[in-house]
Amino acid sequence: MNVSIPNILDQIIASIPLFKPELALIIGFIVCIFLALFLEKRWRNSTFIGCLVTLGFSLYHLAGQLSITAVGFSGMWLVDSWSTLARLIIGLSTVIIAIFIQQRHGKNNGDVYSILIAATLGMHVLSSTSHWLMAFIGIEIVSIASYILVGYFSQNKAQSEAAMKYVLFGSVCAAVMLYGLSLVYGLTGSLDFQSVEHLQGLMDAPEAVITLALLFVFAGIGFKLSFVPFHVWSPDVYQGAPTAITAFLSTIPKVGAIILFARLYASWSSTAFYFSELSTWFITIVAIVTMLVGNLAALRQQDVKRMMAYSSIGHTGLLLMAVFAYQDSSSYLLFYIVAYVIMNLATFIFIDQIEQQTGSTSLLSYAGLGKKMPILFTAFTLVAISLIGIPPTVGFVAKLMVFTSTFSVFQSSGDTGALLLLIVGALTSVISLFFYFKIPLYAFLRSSDQPITAKKQISILLIIAYILTVLVILFGIFPNWVML
Amino acid sequence: MITLTHFLVVSACIFCIGLYAVLAKRNTIMILVGIELMINAAILNFVAFGKYDKVNYGGQVFAIFAIVLAAAAVAVGLAIILNVYRHFNTINPQNIHELKD
Repeated sequence: MNVSIPNILDQIIASIPLFKPELALIIGFIVCIFLALFLEKRWRNSTFIGCLVTLGFSLYHLAGQLSITAVGFSGMWLVDSWSTLARLIIGLSTVIIAIFIQQRHGKNNGDVYSILIAATLGMHVLSSTSHWLMAFIGIEIVSIASYILVGYFSQNKAQSEAAMKYVLFGSVCAAVMLYGLSLVYGLTGSLDFQSVEHLQGLMDAPEAVITLALLFVFAGIGFKLSFVPFHVWSPDVYQGAPTAITAFLSTIPKVGAIILFARLYASWSSTAFYFSELSTWFITIVAIVTMLVGNLAALRQQDVKRMMAYSSIGHTGLLLMAVFAYQDSSSYLLFYIVAYVIMNLATFIFIDQIEQQTGSTSLLSYAGLGKKMPILFTAFTLVAISLIGIPPTVGFVAKLMVFTSTFSVFQSSGDTGALLLLIVGALTSVISLFFYFKIPLYAFLRSSDQPITAKKQISILLIIAYILTVLVILFGIFPNWVML
Repeated sequence: MITLTHFLVVSACIFCIGLYAVLAKRNTIMILVGIELMINAAILNFVAFGKYDKVNYGGQVFAIFAIVLAAAAVAVGLAIILNVYRHFNTINPQNIHELKD
């Protein structure tokens, strides 16, 4: 396969149209750095506007890719319905996060936006590749950007400690994953995990080495998805980071990582050899343990952000279940992702609004607030209902689809793992009822000792959160609006 | 004659040393050094395996990218550790426990 340099160049130039959304992000990243350096002092919010314009361009080019299925850059860049829809979700939620940061940290925030764009770029890379080199670069871009975001506004001990824990744990996981990748590369001689040589190499390799290599690789992805046992960072980081950044961490990086994991699982689980069996068992056990640990640990949390961290670990377990169940159709997994992103963004905006009023994220401080902020807490309760998975909300439809599909897997294969997944999934949904309902319980039924004066204010963030709440209900009643 | 096995044994040893440095948790800088050792063990593996990949040189390209990314991650890590030192006056991970269950 001796390809001449002009041929390679032609191929690269031909692939550039597929890369337009990311090119917009790269240009916007550089422009935002300069805006923050030179223009931010004279004209506040210029970087914020630059960031929104960049995301707008990126989304515009993405919309043009909706109907395209293509491969570019000699097989390293995949554009299909998965990647385009996932990137649209990522782009739209990044817009909300950018507004969130602008509203909450109005001063001295110039560089945050360029880092936010860089993180978006990393997620784009993650969600549209099947090549290990690109996947590793994507994971590292997202990780490094997230470390900076967590540490950027750190003003007290807890915030800087959160950033340190995140950076150390993340780097260790990345290093372990890199070692696993080097073993996989040595076994197969190919870095594209969908290619025939890759699967062939994995079939021929000895079992001990494969076990080691696969578990190491899953460690890196597991860190980004925060499934058990790589979840220990997330409660600390979620609690320590500013709420706007927590909203970012809990939603967007998971979208990219779950798409990568779904691609990986779809191509690795399709054979009848040892490594397929290992991946299937791994995903089943990890999904079960993740759901149990996330929901049980959330029961005894007194801090809302920490509780949401465990709740998002629990939802990761369900996402893994969705990956396990939908090996062919992408739309159900994407539906769960959309539901998860909408619910989490709304929840964190509500938490932030309450934090602005009371200065606390502790559940006890919510006592009696329901009468002071009735609309906010009604909407918050609706989102909590959706997080549990009670009709008529989007969370219910998403969970229902995951369960029915897992059940059909069980019926067709009689796999005990699928049955266990179903039982644990249903059980943990019931458990989650208890901790999500603490929020309305404290807000409406407990009365507080100290009187709180709720300031009447209507902010753009609150409007966004209410729109998201309406979407939670609307998509719950008309799920076919998002099904593509 | 140095064969592939020699490279693999050396890299496995380096990886284990790095892992020990991480798990011993004496000093945050030592953890960063341990991470760097683990990454370099992987890079050694990549280059050693890359010898047999004459078509794409995937391993060597991967090694170069890994070096760049490791440097970026360590730079960010050091900046954050400096920030932690300003708040805590220590970088011993055992003394830094504001956040816990």
